[in-house]
Amino acid sequence: MQHPAFEEVTIHHHTDDATFKKKVKNTTILLSVITVVELIIGLTIYNIHKGEAPNELLVLMFKGMVCILTLAKAYYIVSVFMHLGDEIRNVIMTIVVPLLLFIWFITAFIWDGNSYKNLRNKYDAHYKETSVTPAKH
Amino acid sequence: MATTATVQQTKWWTGGKSPFNMEYGKLMMWYFLMSDAFTFGAFLISYGSIRFSQNFWPDPSVVFNAFPGAGHANLPLAFVSVMTFILIISSVTMVLAVHAGHNNDKQGVVKWLFWTIVGGAAFLGCQAWEWHHLITGEHAVLVNGQLDIVGQTTRINPWGRLAAQADIATAIQNTPREMLIRLAEMGGHEHAGTAHTNFASLPNAELIKAIDVEGLHIRENGPVAFGGYFFGITGFHGFHVFSGVIINIIMLLMTQKDVFARRGHYLMIEKAGLYWHFVDLVWVFVFLCFYLI
Amino acid sequence: MSETTTVHIADAKHATTHHEEHGHHQQSFISKYIFSMDHKTIGKQFLITGIVWAVIGGLFSVIFRLQLGYPDTTFPILETFFGKWAKGGQIQPEFYYSLVTMHGTILVFFVLTAGLSGTFANILIPLQIGARDMASPFLNMLSYWFFFIAGIVMASSIFVQTGPASSGWTMYPPLSALRQAGDGQKIGTDLWLISMALFIISSLLGGLNYITTILNMRTKGMSMTRLPLPIWAMFFTAVLGVLSFPVLLSGAILLLFDRNLGTSFYLSDIVINGEILPNEGGSAILYQHLFWFLGHPEVYIILLPAMGMVSEILSVNSRKPIFGYMAMLGSLFAIAILAFLVWAHHMFVAGLNPFLGSVFVLLTLLIAVPSAIKVFNWLTTIWRGNIRFTPAALFAIGFVSLFISGGLTGIFLGNSTIDIHLHDTMFVVAHFHIVMGVASMFGMLAGVYHWFPKMYGRYLNNTLGYIHFWVTIVGAYLTFWPMHYQGLAGVPRRYLDKSGWVNFNQFGELDKFITVVSMIVFVAQFIFIINFFYSIYKGRKVRTANPWGANTLEWTTPINPGHGNWEGDIPEVHRWPYDYGKDGREFIPQTEPVGASESKH
Repeated sequence: MQHPAFEEVTIHHHTDDATFKKKVKNTTILLSVITVVELIIGLTIYNIHKGEAPNELLVLMFKGMVCILTLAKAYYIVSVFMHLGDEIRNVIMTIVVPLLLFIWFITAFIWDGNSYKNLRNKYDAHYKETSVTPAKH
Repeated sequence: MATTATVQQTKWWTGGKSPFNMEYGKLMMWYFLMSDAFTFGAFLISYGSIRFSQNFWPDPSVVFNAFPGAGHANLPLAFVSVMTFILIISSVTMVLAVHAGHNNDKQGVVKWLFWTIVGGAAFLGCQAWEWHHLITGEHAVLVNGQLDIVGQTTRINPWGRLAAQADIATAIQNTPREMLIRLAEMGGHEHAGTAHTNFASLPNAELIKAIDVEGLHIRENGPVAFGGYFFGITGFHGFHVFSGVIINIIMLLMTQKDVFARRGHYLMIEKAGLYWHFVDLVWVFVFLCFYLI
Repeated sequence: MSETTTVHIADAKHATTHHEEHGHHQQSFISKYIFSMDHKTIGKQFLITGIVWAVIGGLFSVIFRLQLGYPDTTFPILETFFGKWAKGGQIQPEFYYSLVTMHGTILVFFVLTAGLSGTFANILIPLQIGARDMASPFLNMLSYWFFFIAGIVMASSIFVQTGPASSGWTMYPPLSALRQAGDGQKIGTDLWLISMALFIISSLLGGLNYITTILNMRTKGMSMTRLPLPIWAMFFTAVLGVLSFPVLLSGAILLLFDRNLGTSFYLSDIVINGEILPNEGGSAILYQHLFWFLGHPEVYIILLPAMGMVSEILSVNSRKPIFGYMAMLGSLFAIAILAFLVWAHHMFVAGLNPFLGSVFVLLTLLIAVPSAIKVFNWLTTIWRGNIRFTPAALFAIGFVSLFISGGLTGIFLGNSTIDIHLHDTMFVVAHFHIVMGVASMFGMLAGVYHWFPKMYGRYLNNTLGYIHFWVTIVGAYLTFWPMHYQGLAGVPRRYLDKSGWVNFNQFGELDKFITVVSMIVFVAQFIFIINFFYSIYKGRKVRTANPWGANTLEWTTPINPGHGNWEGDIPEVHRWPYDYGKDGREFIPQTEPVGASESKH
């Protein structure tokens, strides 16, 4: 069964309306719930920061949680809304595998950014004086 | 032909067909989006790099706490959550438009595309308001030993550390009179008079007393890159939303003129949809990087 | 039986659409030669534009070599042409930097990226995979015209009053971000950035097309492991371009903001001409990261197409199958992956975290593995081959030679400790010119000599080809080899006059020698250019469809293939493209079905 307009497309499949609508509805609800959870975490971080001597580790943990939730959101958008989940494996791999480059891309950039901070704090006394003292909100 | 049987047996790579079972335009769109993901990725990662190179970074909940019509109420993250929901919903309507296209349902495509465009326009409107609010906002800062009132632009950031009381006391003496008047007008002590007090008539010493130092939350300058990246990245994203809206409008017009109906398929809607979802996808990450962490 | 009928109908349909679109081959001059959507014409447009840019870029190098070789001599003719930039016949410092900047930009981007992969991806992909044209001929045309406009913008920067950009082809801030820094940092840099943005769009449009065409448009039987190696190389090139150029775009946009909107992405703590700038908190190293995230893959964007074509040409002209086809694929793949992981080895001494640097050293040295695999495979391909020394084959062998000599010095530079001594010296210049510049140029020339008969239906003159080859390879080595010694002695690159340093004085004569040789090499290229344009019109006509006795599909098309490439059906492919000298036969085209008694390879 060839596609009417594109001879290189060999098969195409239809999902029935009911299943589809249900899937979209569930995904929408899921995305909304995740967003609400993210907002709650965001406000929690804000409140931790407001208090005296904020617990940095706790803040970091919450931030990590938001990152994971965001990745989950991205997964649902790409897989359901963009229909990547319905494509054959070949497509999924060519999209997902190159994105792995981001791992080293992010690691190296952040690593070097952090090192830049340490270098400045070490060799630029004025910079350190004017910016390192503990923040009060 | 039994479709399921073919799926299992098809040799995808032998040539003469698409190994991805995808027409070239859609494939191209996917790879274009990959490429664009690297553009945005590069922006966001360099933002991360700069952020990690700073000793101090403003708390987003402090920066983004305004809501249209709510005056000076402190509503952290409220407005941006509205924007996020607008974009998610417009993504859903786009999914429905694409689905209608699969079913060759012209009316459905028109209807859902229309709502997608409305969503996109609403998002752009929200962004315009937010930018305007940040740029024209008035925040008291302590800079170069004086007090000043600035907004958030690409050149200055008013969200630094809260200034120490001793520094403020010195700086307030060095601040020009016009600035003192403006500061007093921004937040004067109730007992110094009503909101309508004519501060300009007060002598300097009175004027300084009239300024509500606590209430003004006077801060030092924050990292300048904050504004640069915020406006740069949300601007670039906004540009994508804008072009997405334009594309969707073109799609809407083409649908109405029966271009796709004559072609026999609505695959263009699918490609526009991919682009639109990508814009939503990017927002998810912008939302994370600028508003949540 | 029914299968073949379907294919036939599909092809016929395809053919009719072409006829409808192009008015029964009665195209106007404009739609046939200017805004052409035929991949072969677009490829030729890329090639000829590339040649024009190569002459301009090469000329710039000759001019600044004059300054390096003869710092005390005046050349009044330079003042005639360049006016205030060469006052009194002496190259002015600003102009010198503009020249090196433009030389680098033009050669790297316009010649060896667009001119090389633009040309051969366009010409070879549809012909070798068996497609009527690119997936999207329209975007393909746009790709060329964006490149053309990028070129116009770049060229216009040469004619503005303050001159073209002069911060080096890498355009590092803070120098490039500050207008006050000099003439070249004024409008010239903005034009450079705009030109680059247009170029990135061009390369993106082209790259997307190449990828989708290779994946989707292969003819029946052309599985991925039956693709000729140039196609695989173009494929990885396109992938590299699509994923890395956008990062440069981001970097360039941020730089434009720093220049025009007062942002501080790359700027911090700067005093210039006694003025303290307000910029605070930016990081100049960030730009280098962004630039080299493209910049390093860019090196392979330049090199991979040459590698692919050389593999093909060596195999065809040795009358032997390529040695280790799968190893060639694997090493191309490995190089493409590693290309993305090693960018910071360009920044070892720029203030990069040394521990991060050591990770980059490790990753960088890994590249030696796939590179060595490729070299050994080329050598074993020609080993005991029945080599026909056509000009194309000579250039391909020259490529291998240059790749080896330039690649070895890469191992020096990839070690961060040795790089402390060697960075920013002539050693670096020698290294990248040999391994990336001249080697890729050789790959490109090999490709032109080999596929010229397919492009124009005529042959290039062989004698001129041989002269061109020998002068060029000898000249290239004589130009760049001595630079290694200079670099080891610490002679810095980018200095326009080194005579003030006692320890560099000893190289004065050597610099003169290099200058003379480089001028000879430059002039020798005109042998090729004359040969090229003369042969388009007057060259010996090709009489046989397959003059090189090659297996790949492009030689099954008519001598002068029309729009749609094949008359009638696109041939079906039954075997890999390297069945040379098999079962007593010199070559077996890909279209020939595998015989029952045929031996396995």
